[in-house]
Amino acid sequence: MSEAETVQAELLAKFGFLAGAVKVQRAKRVWVEVNRERFAQVFDFLVKGLGFSNLCTITGLDEGADLGFIYHLARDGGLMVNVKTCSPKGECIQTITPYFPGGGIYERELEDLFGAKVEGLPAGSRYPLPDDWPEGEHPLLKDWKPKGTGSGEKGAKHD
Amino acid sequence: MTEKERIVRVPIGPQHPALKEPESFMVDLRGEKISAVSLRLGYNHRGIEKGCEERTYVQDVYLVERVCGICSHSHSTAFVQAVEEIAGLELPKRAKYIRTLIAELERIHSHLLWLGVAGHEIGFDTLLMYTWRDREAVMDLLAALTGNRVNYGLNTVGGVRRDVSPEQIPEILRVVDLLEERTKYYIDLALTEETLAKRLVGVGKLSKEDAVTLGAVGPTARASGVDRDTRRDDPYAAYDEVSFQVVTDDRCDVFGRAVVRLGELMQSYSIVRQLVKNLPEGPVAVKAPLKIPAGEAVSRYEAPRGEDVHFVRANGTDKPERVKIRAPTLANTQSVAKMLEDGYLADLPIVVAAIDPCFSCTDRTITVRGETSGEARTLDWEELVRFGVDWHRRRGVDFSKVAIRGGARA
Amino acid sequence: MNLGHRIVRWGQKKSPWILHFNTGACNACDIEIIAALTPRFDLERFGVLLKGTPRHCDVLACSGPVTKQIRPRLVRIYEQIPEPKAVVAVGSCATSGGVFGGLYNVMGGIDQAIPVAAYIPGCPASPQAIIDGFVKLLKTLEEGK
Repeated sequence: MSEAETVQAELLAKFGFLAGAVKVQRAKRVWVEVNRERFAQVFDFLVKGLGFSNLCTITGLDEGADLGFIYHLARDGGLMVNVKTCSPKGECIQTITPYFPGGGIYERELEDLFGAKVEGLPAGSRYPLPDDWPEGEHPLLKDWKPKGTGSGEKGAKHD
Repeated sequence: MTEKERIVRVPIGPQHPALKEPESFMVDLRGEKISAVSLRLGYNHRGIEKGCEERTYVQDVYLVERVCGICSHSHSTAFVQAVEEIAGLELPKRAKYIRTLIAELERIHSHLLWLGVAGHEIGFDTLLMYTWRDREAVMDLLAALTGNRVNYGLNTVGGVRRDVSPEQIPEILRVVDLLEERTKYYIDLALTEETLAKRLVGVGKLSKEDAVTLGAVGPTARASGVDRDTRRDDPYAAYDEVSFQVVTDDRCDVFGRAVVRLGELMQSYSIVRQLVKNLPEGPVAVKAPLKIPAGEAVSRYEAPRGEDVHFVRANGTDKPERVKIRAPTLANTQSVAKMLEDGYLADLPIVVAAIDPCFSCTDRTITVRGETSGEARTLDWEELVRFGVDWHRRRGVDFSKVAIRGGARA
Repeated sequence: MNLGHRIVRWGQKKSPWILHFNTGACNACDIEIIAALTPRFDLERFGVLLKGTPRHCDVLACSGPVTKQIRPRLVRIYEQIPEPKAVVAVGSCATSGGVFGGLYNVMGGIDQAIPVAAYIPGCPASPQAIIDGFVKLLKTLEEGK
């Protein structure tokens, strides 16, 4: 059994509800889909139980009524487990900073660019948008279009 | 004013309280030491991920290449690899070898660049001049191989756009030989020149445990004993067909980060020789569809600064549904506050420079708050560098007395 | 340096002092500006020197497409440079936004924020192009345009 298949088996053994939701895409790439309610226990097992100590990043996705989140985890030896979950827009998700103190920056990105609400994030400056960015504007949402300058419209040139 | 409270103030003009300008660094001092740091990032945020969704995959190769102009090949390769995986493309070996060759030449130019920048940050401008002169040899080579000194435009979905000709091989080997000699000299300089040790040893400490918890990557992590390198752990391009060492160090400080990069240069020269010696015959690209079938992939790449991660979701059209890029510097900035804690303000420039940040440092403003005065002063980067150099010079560290031997003209 | 001295030096066109500022560039042009000052290309032989502060500079060399976050600082730095002064946009992004043109967080070039006297194209602008651009700017200033 490859390392990826081993991890797949370990996940399925631990969590019956993951049946059919754990895929080995290729060597070193496992994909897991889990609902929001059960995300925390799967995440905890991967990090604390299976040694996935590298949170590469968190990808936000606009999925219509929901926001999707993919937590890209890796461990020594290079195996990656990509854990996909989602949450209705406007609802809170929990921070993973207790596991990954450096991971707060990825959660701030989700807040700025998708309007995600992350509960439990320690105080800190926003990222990556400027302080005077208008409230409620989240550029990576599919229906967001830039307004005014910065959209390629050239302002009047200075002399 | 006592020396403890004296901070060089930059004549940037009267403060305009009405102008809201977020500082990059907010530093609290206890005496001459840093008690707390907070960073504000985002100055380079352009909106590239959104832009990727609005452009075709072909256009995105050029856009993504410019996420960072120092490791541009890293980003463009990481991107096309994800797209190629989704499309199920099998690349010709020659394409993978050429990608790897440019990747290592990029690492070489980047690490030599870093050596020079580090030299500048500690007041050793002669080192900047010599390393950047050496670096011109590899810049010329990259220009000859790809058509540009930077932003090479080498990658396409399905392979590379240019081939390496047999006539170019001896030049590649000549440059590698030259730079290997120079690098050996710089290694010797690092290990024997006391002035360098005084500035770099024990500075910017980051324990192995903190490096892992805070998500450090690349030479920054490896200098804290973290044995991770994407080229070995999650091989891509032709890395599964070359042999090399992953360079780690246990010093956990700025000196260690320099040692790791110097060691990596030596490994890169060896990798380049292997690639050139074993370069397979054949085409340099396969035909790729303009529309990429629905699917997802994560591509990882060991850029000079560390692990670069690209996620792509395709939706059957000629434009990606989603492109997510995590550049290595974002990961490493999470460790900087820890490295600066309880260190001297005078060392802030070199500690930050030692993560090899992929943002221009020369325009960062720093707000420093002394514990006794309470009031905040704003400095700009160059003034802080000068402050650091002067501070150390008063303690016997003076690079104006250190000579460097120049090598043959590149 | 008082205004009289500045005008004399400016009139001599012998040694413009440059402040380099990155407005959100990918760093390629910034590296090439510094490379232009290293011995291989040696912009310094034209008397051009890189200075750290706006107060003592004559020319502001800018790279990057001007992100929204950096714009106020760019304008403020420009305002702090005493007359006479000139701004050089280095690279395609500084000229017109370049590859980042149209992205939501960029203004689209230096002249979207401050007046520009000279544009040096390229992605990145090569050290040779940078030197060529600066020499042309010096000639233009000499001719009193």
